[in-house]
Amino acid sequence: MDYLAERYLRPRKIPSTACSGCGLGQVHKKILLAVEQSGIGTDDLVWGTGIGCTGRQTFNTWKGDNFAGTHGRVYAMAVGLRAALPEEKKILLTVGDGDAFGIGLSHLLHCARRNVGVTVIAADNFGYQSTGGQYGYTTPQGFVTDSSPYGTREPGWLQDGADILDILKSAGATFLARHSSFEGQKAVDSIEKALDNKGFSLVHFIYPCVTHFGAVGLNSRDNGKIVRWFEELFSAKNRPGRGPHVTSGITHDARGSRPEFAAALRSRTREIREGRHVQA
Amino acid sequence: MKTYFDTGNAAMVEAAVIAGCGLFSGYPITPATEIAEHMSRRMPLAGGMYIQAEDETAALHICIGGALGGLKTMTATSGPGYVLYADPYGWAISAEVPLVIVNAQRVGPVSGITGAPGQGEFYLSRYPTHGGNFETVVLAPNSVQEAFTMTVQAFALAERFRTPVTVLADQLVTDGYASFSVPENDEELRALGLRVVPRRAHPGPDFYPACDDIDIPPVVLGRGTGAACSDWTPTEEGYDTEDTVEHMRHARRLIYKILAHRELVDRYETCGMENDPDIVLVSYGSPSRVVLGAVKEARRQGLSAGCIRLQSLWPFQDELFRRKADYLVVELNADGQLAREVERAARYPVHFMGACGELPSAAELVEAIRRLERGEELPPSTDEREIR
Repeated sequence: MDYLAERYLRPRKIPSTACSGCGLGQVHKKILLAVEQSGIGTDDLVWGTGIGCTGRQTFNTWKGDNFAGTHGRVYAMAVGLRAALPEEKKILLTVGDGDAFGIGLSHLLHCARRNVGVTVIAADNFGYQSTGGQYGYTTPQGFVTDSSPYGTREPGWLQDGADILDILKSAGATFLARHSSFEGQKAVDSIEKALDNKGFSLVHFIYPCVTHFGAVGLNSRDNGKIVRWFEELFSAKNRPGRGPHVTSGITHDARGSRPEFAAALRSRTREIREGRHVQA
Repeated sequence: MKTYFDTGNAAMVEAAVIAGCGLFSGYPITPATEIAEHMSRRMPLAGGMYIQAEDETAALHICIGGALGGLKTMTATSGPGYVLYADPYGWAISAEVPLVIVNAQRVGPVSGITGAPGQGEFYLSRYPTHGGNFETVVLAPNSVQEAFTMTVQAFALAERFRTPVTVLADQLVTDGYASFSVPENDEELRALGLRVVPRRAHPGPDFYPACDDIDIPPVVLGRGTGAACSDWTPTEEGYDTEDTVEHMRHARRLIYKILAHRELVDRYETCGMENDPDIVLVSYGSPSRVVLGAVKEARRQGLSAGCIRLQSLWPFQDELFRRKADYLVVELNADGQLAREVERAARYPVHFMGACGELPSAAELVEAIRRLERGEELPPSTDEREIR
């Protein structure tokens, strides 16, 4: 990560304060690899963050411009920022599962509905780990966490035929992908495509939390064991009905199929101003 | 000057256009919906944007995003939406983002009565978010013309102080029709005592120095300055910190940038105060219009009365209540919020008359003045008589 860190990150923020064994650093690195692959410079991208492990660990690491939103609302802030910024400026948001799929889901869906030109990296560690390990909305059902000592009772967004990416697709997202933090070039390529999309993109990264989900949910702090469990999660052996299961790769690529929100708003404003608008 | 005959809502929209508003985001709510409707027509014609939000929380966050991108932004709501602003309001105060918020107060709590005027957010506008460690700037119009001028002023104050400014109106001011003048050039703007402060952008990656200065350009993203702003406690360099000393510096800036320049915010009007009256009526917004008539009538009848009308509510103008008198505070609520604050500032007796959604009559107020002058108890209001 050294040369990437030197080129793109603020020295004061490296190394991060993440727990030993945390997968977030791998996600962070893949974002920078994709940024490099896309030829994006530090002036070309504004980096926003949510609240939680992902928000706190990635806020203000970017050498360019940074902002951190209130919990779950960074998608709404991005709507206004997108409207104000020139089209060529990219907006990237790094957020956690609680931020995106819990407290911020309504704003996230409306951001997808509008096809706002932002790239959301939803880094998912299966719960609220920065507050000490409570279950979230992707925590597999039945798992023990600090707020589900007898196992979670509610279904999550990744089971019983539900997939949060399907919901985002229905909402209007134009690029969606999912990877684990262990994946390499394929995951980087997905982020590159997400950044290339003029509209709303989300890449869902599932990554291990050793300190809470590993220690309590999987009953192990052994990194090898934890990584194997996550690999199983993605493997074809674990089909629906035989345990938690997710697929990896690009799930929806409709880049260019719908107008981007701010570009459409700007051109509509011009039409109205010049009296060229036609009522639908 | 151009003269219009329209509502306070329309006046505030014209004011926003003149002030250079580039983005309005709101969520439909009575009685502020008309502001959103007017904005949806007016913004594109003025080259600005109208974004209807999924809820009020999003509306103010969208305004913050627009402001961070370099635009002047505005939102408008009523009590149930104003309370949902709590989250972004705090963000904008702490990250020092200029923007304008209109609250057309109605009768609460909660949905209450949608179509009647209220004054229930006096204290909420002082503490619109959690956590403390800040001051707020709040203006209160009592007419359609003032809805116009105060909205222009709110934009200027927001820019200068780097903070959200609330225009705390009520349903009678926003829905009421009246003629109002709109300046057509800079000279006419100045003649109304107004100015437009252009949006500037902070030049460097640093946040703000630990000082009381105003007129420091706000942080703008997307200009390649390496700027950063967040909900975390900021250092002067823009990094997030958990250092309590840094937080104290931040809190002092949020408080004293406003208090040290409060003469730019403080506004009030009086009538009859030069005669050192025994009874002083205190009000803001719509009730002040009845109060003024009542005080004039009381004086005509030989009673010793005067009145103070607050045009800015926060920071609170304690010094207006130092003179020896019986203060009678008149509000559109039953709990007496302004009365409580006057009680804190004044060293003399404070009385309260208030009702939900209904203004008192001038006759009731004159009778109250008469009784207070005789040292008698205030009569119960019409509503209270009916309740009993």
